[in-house]
Amino acid sequence: MIVAEWKPIPELLASLKGHKNVLLVGCATCVAECAAGGEREVLTLAPVLKMGLKDQGQEVNIITRTLERQCEPEFVEELSEIAPQVDAIMSIACGIGMQLVAERFIDLPLYPGVNTTSLAIREQAGLWTARCAACGDCMLGETFGLCPVARCAKSLMNGPCGGTRKDGKCEVDENTECIWRLIVERAEAKGRLEDLVKVRPSKNWSNSGHGGPKRMLREDLR
Amino acid sequence: MAAAKKDKDFSPEIVALYCRQCLDAEERPQEGARQTKGFTARLVMLPCSGKVEAYQLLKILEQGADGVLLVGCPENACRFLVGSRRAEKRLTRAGQLLDLVNMGAGRLALKRAADLTTADILALAGQLAEQVKTLGPSPMKGDSL
Ligand code: SF4
Ligand code: SF4
Repeated sequence: MIVAEWKPIPELLASLKGHKNVLLVGCATCVAECAAGGEREVLTLAPVLKMGLKDQGQEVNIITRTLERQCEPEFVEELSEIAPQVDAIMSIACGIGMQLVAERFIDLPLYPGVNTTSLAIREQAGLWTARCAACGDCMLGETFGLCPVARCAKSLMNGPCGGTRKDGKCEVDENTECIWRLIVERAEAKGRLEDLVKVRPSKNWSNSGHGGPKRMLREDLR
Repeated sequence: MAAAKKDKDFSPEIVALYCRQCLDAEERPQEGARQTKGFTARLVMLPCSGKVEAYQLLKILEQGADGVLLVGCPENACRFLVGSRRAEKRLTRAGQLLDLVNMGAGRLALKRAADLTTADILALAGQLAEQVKTLGPSPMKGDSL
């Protein structure tokens, strides 16, 4: 899922300064799964903003909506009746959903209520950890199903870096596994350690962010 | 706190959410407002304290209540096993958010008890009312409720 987290409350309050009617809009898909932008979080954030602004001497009316998917124009259209009644929109969907809302309601200021951080899994209740960085040239087949782009702090292609802690954690974060240690362990367990010393062709970074904004075209679907 | 004046003589409005399993077997569940000396309590019965969500606690305060009391079963006596533990986590989260907006986590309280009468719940609400008096009336008062 796409993972996001609330921006600090003071930052959110500052962005709504001077607004009287605000539409707070969430998304019931990825950001609901990571407890940042679903209906529950919309309903939680709305009174917090209202109380926070009141504390700063500002009365604000907050209208709440949660779209099924904020990254699909059909669902965003559901806001078209309410949008004329507000003077700002705050979105707590991922950056993709936010941009669709901003584009559809171009006359209204759009404030991001969350920071979109990663493509991750829910590893445990209340813990999400990154799994993919959408690099555009997946190498999981060479790394025994473990992604070094998203999960090595240095995105090394030929780790480990040498800094792995004694307990197997990454030198950059004591709570994160050294993914290259895990890759080596899996290779060993499968008796394929040799695979990791093979010289691989360099990775094609141009199929993602490094090649400019990604554009995918399928003529058969147009 | 910007707006709220610290008026210790006001009569706090406390919303008391209580788990029905906390009641004494002989006690009939009661709901609605009770005017008591020094504060008003609104009793709301829940099927389990774990039913409560952080946003509900926040919304009650946003609408002008001075405090919210949550009454759940003793930790190891919850009929739904983890209900009263979940309630505590949600109350903690709501409290952290209240502190961030200068409302004060002290407007929330969780009490764990069993075999309660309505009078017992009102007494617990009274304890919160005393705590809330130190914070002053809710700055949200007058918005609704
Ligand atoms: S190699 Fe690239 S596409 Fe594959 S999981 Fe890692 S970041 Fe994602
Ligand atoms: S310790 Fe492991 S995960 Fe951390 S930077 Fe080095 S190779 Fe990458």
